[in-house]
Amino acid sequence: MRDPKQLDARVSAARQAVEARGETFYPGASRIHLAAFPPRERWDDWVEVDARTPERRERRYMLVPTTCFNCESACGLLAYVDRERLEVRKLEGNPEHPGSRGRNCAKGPATLNQVTDPDRILTPLKRVGERGEGRWAQVSWDEALDDIAARIRRAITEGRGNEVMYHVGRPGEDGYTERVLAAWGIDGHNSHTNICSSGGRAGYHYWMGFDRPSPDYGNADVIVLVSAHLESGHYFNPHAQRIVEARQRGAKLIVLDVRLSNTASQADHWIAPQPGSEAAIFLAIAHHLIATGRHDRGFVERWWNWQEYMAVALGRPGASFAEFEAELAALWSHYTFEFAAREAGVDAEALRAIADVIAGAGTRLASHVWRSAAAGNLGGWQVSRTLFLLNALLGAVACEGGTYPNGWNKFVPRPIHTPPHPPRWNELTWPVEYPLAMNELSFLLPHLVGDGRGALEVYFTRVYNPVWTNPDGFSWIEMLTDPDKVRLHVALTPTWNETAQYADYVLPMGVGSERHDLHSYETHDAQWLGFRQPVLRAARARLGAAVADTRQANPGEVWEENELWIELSWRIDPDGALGIRRHFESRERPGEKLGVDEYYRHIFERAVPGLPARAAAEGLAPLDYMRRYGVFEVRRGIGPVHAEAVPAAELDDAVTDALGRVYTRAPKPAPDNIVPVPTPDGDAEGRRRAGIAVDGRVVRGFPTPSGRLELWSRTLAEWGWPEHALPTYIESHVHPRALAADQLVLIPTFRLPVQVHTRSGNAKWLDEIAHTNPLWIHPRDAARIGVETGGLVRVETEIGYFVVKAWVTEGIRPGVVACSHHMGRWKLAGAERGQGQVMATVALDRDAGPDGVRWTMRRRQGVGPYASSDPDTRRIWWSDVGVHQNLTFPVHPDPISGMHCWHQAVRVRRAEPGDRHADIFVDTEKSRAAYRSWLARTRPAHQVSPDGTRRPYWLLRPLKPAREVYALPGLLPRTP
Amino acid sequence: MTEALRALGVLAEPPCSEHAAIAAALELPPPPSADEHMAVLGFQLPPYASIYLGAEGMLGGEARDRIAGFWRALGGQPPREPDHLSVLCAALAELAGADPRIRTARAALYWEHVASWMPPYLAALRRIGSPFHAAWAATLDAVFAAEAEVIGPPSALPLALRAVAAPEGPPADLDALLGAVLAPVRIGMVITRDDLARCAAVLGFGLRAGERRFALRSLLGQDAGEVLGWLAGEARRQADAHGGGSMIPRWWQARGRAGADWLDGLARAAAGSPAIAG
Repeated sequence: MRDPKQLDARVSAARQAVEARGETFYPGASRIHLAAFPPRERWDDWVEVDARTPERRERRYMLVPTTCFNCESACGLLAYVDRERLEVRKLEGNPEHPGSRGRNCAKGPATLNQVTDPDRILTPLKRVGERGEGRWAQVSWDEALDDIAARIRRAITEGRGNEVMYHVGRPGEDGYTERVLAAWGIDGHNSHTNICSSGGRAGYHYWMGFDRPSPDYGNADVIVLVSAHLESGHYFNPHAQRIVEARQRGAKLIVLDVRLSNTASQADHWIAPQPGSEAAIFLAIAHHLIATGRHDRGFVERWWNWQEYMAVALGRPGASFAEFEAELAALWSHYTFEFAAREAGVDAEALRAIADVIAGAGTRLASHVWRSAAAGNLGGWQVSRTLFLLNALLGAVACEGGTYPNGWNKFVPRPIHTPPHPPRWNELTWPVEYPLAMNELSFLLPHLVGDGRGALEVYFTRVYNPVWTNPDGFSWIEMLTDPDKVRLHVALTPTWNETAQYADYVLPMGVGSERHDLHSYETHDAQWLGFRQPVLRAARARLGAAVADTRQANPGEVWEENELWIELSWRIDPDGALGIRRHFESRERPGEKLGVDEYYRHIFERAVPGLPARAAAEGLAPLDYMRRYGVFEVRRGIGPVHAEAVPAAELDDAVTDALGRVYTRAPKPAPDNIVPVPTPDGDAEGRRRAGIAVDGRVVRGFPTPSGRLELWSRTLAEWGWPEHALPTYIESHVHPRALAADQLVLIPTFRLPVQVHTRSGNAKWLDEIAHTNPLWIHPRDAARIGVETGGLVRVETEIGYFVVKAWVTEGIRPGVVACSHHMGRWKLAGAERGQGQVMATVALDRDAGPDGVRWTMRRRQGVGPYASSDPDTRRIWWSDVGVHQNLTFPVHPDPISGMHCWHQAVRVRRAEPGDRHADIFVDTEKSRAAYRSWLARTRPAHQVSPDGTRRPYWLLRPLKPAREVYALPGLLPRTP
Repeated sequence: MTEALRALGVLAEPPCSEHAAIAAALELPPPPSADEHMAVLGFQLPPYASIYLGAEGMLGGEARDRIAGFWRALGGQPPREPDHLSVLCAALAELAGADPRIRTARAALYWEHVASWMPPYLAALRRIGSPFHAAWAATLDAVFAAEAEVIGPPSALPLALRAVAAPEGPPADLDALLGAVLAPVRIGMVITRDDLARCAAVLGFGLRAGERRFALRSLLGQDAGEVLGWLAGEARRQADAHGGGSMIPRWWQARGRAGADWLDGLARAAAGSPAIAG
């Protein structure tokens, strides 16, 4: 035998030779357990033994990566494409993906169900008969696009551009569609975010400029979750796997959740507070940290805007840090543990215990709230604001184990064309009453249109289902069935949904393995770029068959939006006279239509640092690299960007103001990462903001008006809400004081672990796992009402009621009931089309009387076995698909964040003798009254704007219009 | 020796196409087929430290927890299979470096969790393995010896060896006897399925197909005295095969001889009542 040292050198040389070819020498220790992945150099021809045949039968696959489209996590998927039949046989995790690391939740592999769904929409359809009648005729893409394009063109040329609206549920990409709308010159973007995360976002936005957190769970010592992240939270999979790893390391998990969720069951400390009391708890903890001196004084002195608070809010310019500390000590002194315990209905000692755990975290505190309490309550945005206060006190911000601003852990490359900001302001999405709304007031659309504020010429719903997902769905039906209010409704969707039933065109869109997108999300302290691609198109390309149109590779005539928007834009502006077409033209072939290959080739070759070199090392072009691996990690270990020094070259003619903000005349370097960043104003002499002065250095700081973390928000103070400018506690609309003696709080916001809104209803595996939503009710409440598990109850809201089965459980606190609003799908009786696995058949009755319209929904039939191209549909054993409770919720827009406050004050009683499971009744006149009542809580811009504008310019906005249209009509801007 | 260690460790994993190049670089015979691999490392000698160091002679338990604890002590997260030979070799390779703390950690990992079970394990591999496995075991032995030279001698006997006592006195019942005989760290030898087949062949008994505990129970049921006597001889043979060297092979030798003495006593006692009811 050779000498061990020689052997060592010999193996080392062999490894280097193999790896120099871009191949794998060591297959990896992961192969001894189930997390084994095919080595990437064998992705072209991977052999597996067929598990479904008794004899040994090898199958050859081409493994093609894409990005999951079933939630916003953008986890990597690997499609196993059968090389013989060019069909996707399964989807598993992409081990190359730095966010999901090859691991997926159930929704990822279930993409296969969506591909093979026997009820999926495969061709463009046009309504026959009245809207909602359920009859459809197949039309060509050309016919549909010509009609739609002509209407859009007419609206734009007639100055009615704001009558074109694109309403998106799951974006699944970073900015492509906003640029389409900007190219059309319209303020037509409408997102679902104000029914989702605007409350959570607002609290973060007012602290650090960025509107979402990026907790570094993997390195945290203490994790605080106000949600059910481990099972169903927003970034369920990438976050959950890192939380689990942290716990294995010994990190402590604190969960605030009124339900004993699967997440709560894993917690070291579980608090089930009275809904809406969360901010009181966090303020008590904050005061405890301050009173016991366990906050990071140095961090607070450097990075908080305490000088601005002292100077402007308290009128004490020049105050010292010591004077501020005296103020700080008193700021939340009335938030004792005893006070918080009374509000929350929990034990004060339990709160003190978690306060001490948090205090022990130091800078390794990772915290997160996204929907949950922030989405449920009036003032819910203060839940995220007070939660992040704990990070800000401990200095656990943008450091290992702490919580980062999301914009630093995300990468958005510069695209081939960047159209200018549209010169319009759309009052239907950004009404004057909500100058500080984090996102479009999308869920108010029927009421705003009903007020006569506008109408829609062309209304796109894209992977969105407002009739079902939004509150007050009957008001949506009333709007969508009124041709004077919505003249053309186009539903872009991969699958049938309640809203598409009322569309004029239903246009089939691809699922996660059938479309192109670029997608990046904050999963840890790194920046990565995920590439979603139509895997059969990519597979054909690998085999040498070029595909120029994704429809050629997708099932039926299913398309993707990127190509659709390019085609539609050309038809809107065929000769380029409107200035639209130029944003969709090729650069390689001037005057010709841009193709998606060129679009992504341009980005990958020019706009993703490090990608060309990495691709070249493997002998690939950048686009080929991304088609092969599906993801690229641009940077890792970003660290505290706020503390980075501003280079001298960026400090030309720099001046520093009294608050330490540094302004410069040096032009702003073009960033390679165009992730949305707030834009604080420059100085009065035309300089731009370069950073802030800290410890004698000019550093980047935070993208807030002060450049620092904003304990006190001057924006809130100057825009009409001075009482909420500091982190504080706002009593919820479901606070016990607001409830009648016989009312309970209904929590509808939680997910079922494998289901996500409409998106997953076309996945049979997921439907089999989760298909109903009983009402969680505590035994004490159940006994009072006289109901047992399985018994029917009527849940009465402000505008109607729904009938649901009870689930009696001690897993929820008394006085609160809970029903997940991710269930209760339906299709209209008599409709030709619909999703058969999870949509019940219902009858709608509309009773229009002199005092309003009353709607009744009654279930005709649950789901059951049926014949289709998939033999599994004959094996459907469930019939109950839950209750569509959102129909019975009025709109509750928070007057500041604009967030729909989901929680409901309800009365729960035994069902009436004639009641049936899933019955719904709603009076939409009461919906209107609720809308007006919440509108009255607002402080409109024309009353409070300090500068004559509609909205603080620095605040983020998904599609930001040109600055000049920020001016309020009829008001001259005041000099700041 | 980091590269050779890692490469040798990888060969403990299920075979795949990469293994051919690795085996060639290590100058080993062509790697086994999946079936051969499963026969040796799946059924006979699973390469998990806990099986050879745990008082129960089974996968997992305190022995595995102890190895997982090593990672936690370093501030890291334990691998999913912390006691698999492949993982341990990769870990030794990872812990290369001049930092004194790294050197200490590497020495602790090597002596406590690798060297502690290699003598009986590698001997068993040579005894029952294919030509590839015999060569692999010999190379592992040589590389580990070189590693030991670099690291320096252990300061104490590994905890796993100190923590488990040899069996004493008559076992409480047949299950206790089976548990002791099939736990290498207690009896001082490794009994594989092939060894039991050899026992049956030598004694002319019938071997019932099944896992080791089942097969040994059946053999004892045929003539306990004869079988216990054979086991005592096997323990002595395996003990004698361990050379001198460091304190660890010496410990295995002593434990094997003690085990042989205990089995001899049981065999004598059983001679009057040859069958043990199962």
